[in-house]
Amino acid sequence: MLSDPYQLFQLTSPLAMLGWLALVLSPLAPRLAQWVAALVIPALLSVAYTALILVHWADAPGGFDSLANVMALFTDPPVALAGWVHYLAFDLFVGAWITRTARAEAISHLLILPCLVLTFLFGPAGLLAFLILRAGFTLRARMTGVPA
Amino acid sequence: MNAAVASPTPLFPDLRRLWSDAPAFTKLSVMLILALLPLYAAMAIDTRVFQGESPWMKPVKFHFALAIYAISLAFFARYMPATTRASRRWRWFTASVVFAILAECAWLSAAAMQNTASHFNTDIPFFTAIYNLMGAFAVLLTSASLAMGISIWRNPNTGLNPAVKLSIALGLILTFLLTVITAGYLSTADGHFVGTPVTGATLPILGWSREVGDLRVAHFLSTHALHGLPLLGLAAARMGDARGPLTLVWAGAAAYALLVAAVFVQALQGLPLI
Repeated sequence: MLSDPYQLFQLTSPLAMLGWLALVLSPLAPRLAQWVAALVIPALLSVAYTALILVHWADAPGGFDSLANVMALFTDPPVALAGWVHYLAFDLFVGAWITRTARAEAISHLLILPCLVLTFLFGPAGLLAFLILRAGFTLRARMTGVPA
Repeated sequence: MNAAVASPTPLFPDLRRLWSDAPAFTKLSVMLILALLPLYAAMAIDTRVFQGESPWMKPVKFHFALAIYAISLAFFARYMPATTRASRRWRWFTASVVFAILAECAWLSAAAMQNTASHFNTDIPFFTAIYNLMGAFAVLLTSASLAMGISIWRNPNTGLNPAVKLSIALGLILTFLLTVITAGYLSTADGHFVGTPVTGATLPILGWSREVGDLRVAHFLSTHALHGLPLLGLAAARMGDARGPLTLVWAGAAAYALLVAAVFVQALQGLPLI
């Protein structure tokens, strides 16, 4: 049943994995990969997130105003699932942005694969890795006049 | 093929004009339909029950109803004078109508989140205040049909058959007048049912009671005058002579208003439609 957060969880993770697979293989079909990883799957996950919040927010414990309240929020299974789906959707969206930006700026796909893995596992750490990598390319281009 | 394109009165109106004649209403309609995705998803995972059905049933119904209303207004906008449509005053008015519709939908979903009543909720002062505010917004959004009906009525260059033009203008004006009366009364009643016992026997899809009076029947017919009368106008226009079709449209409008009055009185007496 979809109303059971434990079973819904089982559906969301493979969905996100599919998006990451599309990004890893994106040089084969860049536009299709963006369509899947930046639009379709984040949109589906966002529908699931929105539905979870619509249904469970009113009865959720805790709040956003203190760490203790945020921790209380995550003791509620459907709200914790919503938080997890939030990670899945936004991490994938950031992964798609990294892939798109690297392609536009002619940064090798092999170089961004570690950034994608980091983003998949530890979201902001992967974004930071890519921003640092990109800063290196930008600096070289500025100083030498040679693009990427 | 080319003859159809060049013809001054094509068989079927150009739907692409929705986007240029009434961009705000058209976009709103599409948005209301797309926003059904999370509402249906919420319905799928919500095990709570409100008055015998999912709390999400009501926002879903209103999204459909208001999307149909907005796209209907967007369609009829082509028969207003182009200068009126382009005027600053009209754009501000449509923007306020769009805002009112979005506010209604937001409130309905907020009430569903709490699993509480969006209408007739006077348990706490805050809800009573919102309910009154939403009533004002409801009048504002319905007044769009009145404004358009008058504008089309006074437009000498609609390019329409006179009977069709009259039926569109009358339909829009009647939508406002009848809806304000029937829905206005409905909003001051204790609920949409009149009478007891309510065990839950309803008509499919429409959800009207089959046991007691249901004030929503008159609201439904009132609001659909903007569809019903133009259909009559199209049929009347097929009649040949000059005055006959106009008379028929006027008679049809009177009959429609009487029909609404009849189902309204029927519900007030506690009788179901069928």
